[in-house]
Amino acid sequence: MAETVISAVSINKTYPMGDSETEVLKDINFNIASGEFVAIYGSSGAGKTTLLNIIGGIDKPTSGQMIVLGEDLTVQNEDFLADFRCNDVGYVFQAYNLVSTLTVAENVAFPMEWTGRPPEEIVKRVAELLATVGLGHRANHYPAQLSGGEQQRVAFARAMANDPQVFLADEPTGNLDTKNGQKITQMLQMLKAEGKTVIVSTHDAEIMRLADRTLCLEDGRLASKDE
Amino acid sequence: MSSVRFPIKDLARRRLQTSLTITTLTLSVASTLFLLLFSWQVGVGISSTSETLTAGLSAIFAQFVLFIGVLIFVVGAILTSFIVFLMMKQRTRDFGLIKAAGCPNGRVFGYFLAELLIVTVVGCVLGVVFGFTADSVATRVLGVQAIQNPPNLLFASIVFAVFFILAVTFGVKPMLDAARASPLKLLSPVQYFGLGKGGKFKPLSRTGITLQVASRSLFRRVSASVRIILLLSIVFLLLTVSVAGSIIANDTTTIWVENAVGQNVILIAHQDMVTQYKLLMSQAFTQDLAGYFNYTDERLAVPDAILENLNGLHGVSGVDARLVLMEPVREMSGYYIDPDTQSTYSVGDNRNGTSLVVGVNPEKILTSPHTKGQFLNSSDAQMAVIGDTLAQAMYSTDLRAKPPIRLADPLLQKIIVQGKIFDITGVCIDPTNSGNVTYVPLKELQSVTGISTVNVVLVRLDASVDRVATLAQLKTIVQDINPEFSVFELDEVLQENVAFLGSLWSEIMLLPLFTLGSAALCLVGYMMLSVDEQRHEFGVLRAIGTKPNTAVAVAAVQSSLVLLSSLAVGLSFGIITTLLILVPHPIVTVLTVIKISTWLFAALAIMFLLSLIPAVRIAKTSILRVMA
Repeated sequence: MAETVISAVSINKTYPMGDSETEVLKDINFNIASGEFVAIYGSSGAGKTTLLNIIGGIDKPTSGQMIVLGEDLTVQNEDFLADFRCNDVGYVFQAYNLVSTLTVAENVAFPMEWTGRPPEEIVKRVAELLATVGLGHRANHYPAQLSGGEQQRVAFARAMANDPQVFLADEPTGNLDTKNGQKITQMLQMLKAEGKTVIVSTHDAEIMRLADRTLCLEDGRLASKDE
Repeated sequence: MSSVRFPIKDLARRRLQTSLTITTLTLSVASTLFLLLFSWQVGVGISSTSETLTAGLSAIFAQFVLFIGVLIFVVGAILTSFIVFLMMKQRTRDFGLIKAAGCPNGRVFGYFLAELLIVTVVGCVLGVVFGFTADSVATRVLGVQAIQNPPNLLFASIVFAVFFILAVTFGVKPMLDAARASPLKLLSPVQYFGLGKGGKFKPLSRTGITLQVASRSLFRRVSASVRIILLLSIVFLLLTVSVAGSIIANDTTTIWVENAVGQNVILIAHQDMVTQYKLLMSQAFTQDLAGYFNYTDERLAVPDAILENLNGLHGVSGVDARLVLMEPVREMSGYYIDPDTQSTYSVGDNRNGTSLVVGVNPEKILTSPHTKGQFLNSSDAQMAVIGDTLAQAMYSTDLRAKPPIRLADPLLQKIIVQGKIFDITGVCIDPTNSGNVTYVPLKELQSVTGISTVNVVLVRLDASVDRVATLAQLKTIVQDINPEFSVFELDEVLQENVAFLGSLWSEIMLLPLFTLGSAALCLVGYMMLSVDEQRHEFGVLRAIGTKPNTAVAVAAVQSSLVLLSSLAVGLSFGIITTLLILVPHPIVTVLTVIKISTWLFAALAIMFLLSLIPAVRIAKTSILRVMA
């Protein structure tokens, strides 16, 4: 049996809203094995993005444990989490979140430069990644000069830069047309083929078909676990 | 939606940006009004002492206060226009959005104009209130030379009117541009970010990336960056003029006073004359000069025996015997021949006055006041050197006189003392009798007055001898010859003069302190707006693996670039202005340079550290809140 790389134990998350509190995640428990492709779906506001943020070390639960690659992220400090986000997780945001002052190539290179990899290796890897996402000709453009689909592909290339074990994508096709959506689906397929652990929040039927397992979030609770 | 409700709702919705803009605008108006009121108070305070301060020194102080006041106003005006420009520039995209939604151009313009007017009026009114409050508190707490006056409503009205007009003018400019542009152009991210194609990719280190992100972000907002650099350059010009200028002027005037009073100089005279001479030398900071003093009283004449003993005494390196009198003096007009037209013009008039007349032996004089022209150099010549205050009172142009005196120059004129005409060869800055003094050769003065004695003797002690022992010996000799005569160290009066000058300059030095404070606050305001604009970018950087302090590092690079560019411009122009315009014949020592460098470095460090506050706050905020 494959090793468990992600383990959520009684995860709860509440946000203060004025005088009251809103419960976004309620008692979430699951395990994800290495190389598994998991799709999380649910209605808007169900807590999909919050759950991905907690797995990705961007947010912390109000209670519970989130163990990723053997580390309980809920007890780690910000410096540890920064290194974790840079080296161990690739995150594709719904809104792409590219650095607007860096070119496409610079955005993709950023995580590698930050971890101090040799320049020759970075140049080679950037070229490979841009070729993979089909944006070699856009290397020296700024994100503002790209279409939404192109920006999403750059975000994928950036997420893959440090060859992380865990790959997270938040509604990667949510803002895209069918053609661009298909390209993204192909990339996810490629990651699956490479044996990466992939967790995607999505409403896209194509992506869900790719998944080994789906998790349904309803009103902050895990409604079903399709084993 | 009504044209009033929308702007108010919109401002309330953008609470952070609105409060930042109003705060910065308030600070700008308040600090300008406060500094103008305060410098005016200090200026009035100092000018009230100028009846006793010498004219030359008063002129330097007055120039400084005026120049600093003008600069403060310019800084405030640029800052105000900058803040409003920045605020409205940030709304260009919103302008496009509302236009794209179908709102007529005129109405969108009206909405934003209403927002601009609301923010400007609130900022200016609050600024005036806080400016008055700060001035009132500062003058009370600091207890400066300032004269307590009722609130200067004229200043307040001028500041309010000028700043309001500037704010509206500069705020309307980006809106007019937006009104002319198509919604498509306004909404285009390329238009918004203003980026061209980047250069060839080259991998960088962590430091390299930090520098790259910081500098590109700075250059992307090029118009805002240029404006803040321009603003801070003027702030540094102001700081340099007030700090470097004050220090150089303080050192220069101190040395002038030291040279005029003399260092390590001992006064020997009748005890009444000692008291009077001390008062004459302390006129700048005391008003206690007795109404009448008989300088020709025979009791005051220094006995020959004292002079004979002093000349051969071990440890005495110089003896300067003087005859000091208070005499009526008269201006004598001169003439000037224009070299081009060969026309002759009358210079000055024939005004009367009273001056302290000091007869000195030019070969033996122990003091060397700073002199424009030439000091006395011969015992026999009928030459005179007059003090700056006398020159101001009797040898200046006077258009109110009948007939008006349009041309006056003491160096082209003469002075009449006791009916004898002396050529004026120089005008000196001398605290003796607050500059109302005339130096003539001792022989000439004795000749015209018929007084063959002297009433004051100045003695310089050799620096290598035992000062205490020599002084004791001097006292014994003097007391043995005439017990009514005494020995007094003029260094005491010199120190009082220097301390008084120092106190005046230290008041002026309060202005750069406050200017620094307000400039630092404004820089923090700019950095708050700047960091707020990059807020999302900082969130993204953290989300992909940089540490929280990266935001601080980026802000530090941006702040350094802005501050160092501004410092280079401001410092250069400040030094040039000080040395060429404000302080004639500056005396700059190594100590002066060290003092100025310490001040400016401290100012730079304080401003730099304060400018990082907004980024530090971002670094302490969670990623999701930063990106929200």
